[in-house]
Amino acid sequence: MENNTEVKHEVTLYAEPIAHVGNFQITNALLTSWITVAIIILFVALLKTKLRNVPGKLQNGFEIILEGAYSLADQVTGDRKITTRVFPLAFSIFTFVLINNWLGILPFGSFGLLEKGAEGTSFIPFLRSGTADVNTTIALALCAVIGSNLFGIVSIGAWKMFNKYVNLKALGSIFTKVRKEPMILLTAPIMFFVGMLELVGEAAKVASLSFRLFGNVFAGEVLLGAMAAIFAYVLPVPFLFLEVFVGLIQALIFSILVLVYFTIAAQDHEEHDHAETLEKEVEFEMEEVAHA
Amino acid sequence: MESIVSSFHLDIKILIAQLINFAVVIFVLYRFAIKPLGKLMSERSANIEKGLADAKVNAETLLKTQAEYDKALAEARKEASDIFAKAKKDAEMKKNEMLEDAKKEVSKIMAQGTATLEEEKKKMLDDAKKELASLVTSATEKVLTKGISEKIDAALIETSVAHFK
Repeated sequence: MENNTEVKHEVTLYAEPIAHVGNFQITNALLTSWITVAIIILFVALLKTKLRNVPGKLQNGFEIILEGAYSLADQVTGDRKITTRVFPLAFSIFTFVLINNWLGILPFGSFGLLEKGAEGTSFIPFLRSGTADVNTTIALALCAVIGSNLFGIVSIGAWKMFNKYVNLKALGSIFTKVRKEPMILLTAPIMFFVGMLELVGEAAKVASLSFRLFGNVFAGEVLLGAMAAIFAYVLPVPFLFLEVFVGLIQALIFSILVLVYFTIAAQDHEEHDHAETLEKEVEFEMEEVAHA
Repeated sequence: MESIVSSFHLDIKILIAQLINFAVVIFVLYRFAIKPLGKLMSERSANIEKGLADAKVNAETLLKTQAEYDKALAEARKEASDIFAKAKKDAEMKKNEMLEDAKKEVSKIMAQGTATLEEEKKKMLDDAKKELASLVTSATEKVLTKGISEKIDAALIETSVAHFK
């Protein structure tokens, strides 16, 4: 074929492997994540050595960010106690996702490997947003959802948490309250079923968290690739800005949803409805922002 | 499910690797950034609050001290003027007393002087009288012994009397 010498670059749905260590594949997304971790460690080390009571520029900047993040988290959780306990996780997620998102838009994307495949030579960039790989986003989402359930157990107790999903309390109340309220014969099984739905909902949370982030970042990469393919100069610039913005918004959405899940988990079943609306509201608002 | 795994290249090893990455991020951020910085920030805000409270207390103390100082000063002034007035009065009294004393002394001395003078005069007069008497006696004696003329006698008396005038 003619285009055998032409180098193809397709943005694949999955992260491409760039190296092998034993039977462990190092993908470009994983490499980016490592760089992200290195950047964070470097930054924190720099910050830690210059930590003092009268802040320097770096510390001052970080303090402003931290302060703002705290007040935002307070607005979401509505309780300082929950905020202080969840904040480290949410803030870490935010930082990790944000830097991962932004690393993907860096122009270093043009450094990479050439790999000869069945359909000719294809180009594999070294850097791909860590969050443009489902493995990363699922890992984060699992952390968030499992973490929120553990947090719920710590906050309101294992038995109450268990009854959120497998509502034995509702079933038990059939026998204890049936004489006073016969209607409980009808409502208790429904309550039990709702609990089961909650269980499915937890799985849905993992899916929605991970695929929302992955989809947005991956779409950004595809978009930039497509624009560059149409006309490589100037044309992608506005989209680069857009991607910077999307990266920030997605990091924010992810971390705020984590806060919301933790807040819900810390609440008792009785106040659950309020929390549910809160979740829907936040989700809706963030989506609105994202699509604006 | 199979298609999802294959199309997204889901790989449990990479998933775990990313979990480890994230765990490192949490650990580093929490242990070395959020925790110490949060502590520092809360300490600082506590310090600032304390400083503000202290400043308020200090300002109050200052006001109080000023008031006390003013009061003390006013009291001291009043006392000083009192003392001064009393001293003036005392001095006046002393002066009057002294003047009185001086006057008394003067009059006393004057009286004494007059008395002495009187006495002296009297004594002198007595002496003169005595002398006159003795003179007269001696003159008389002379006249009597020498047989003096009437003319001489008269002259003698005259001179004797003139001597005492």
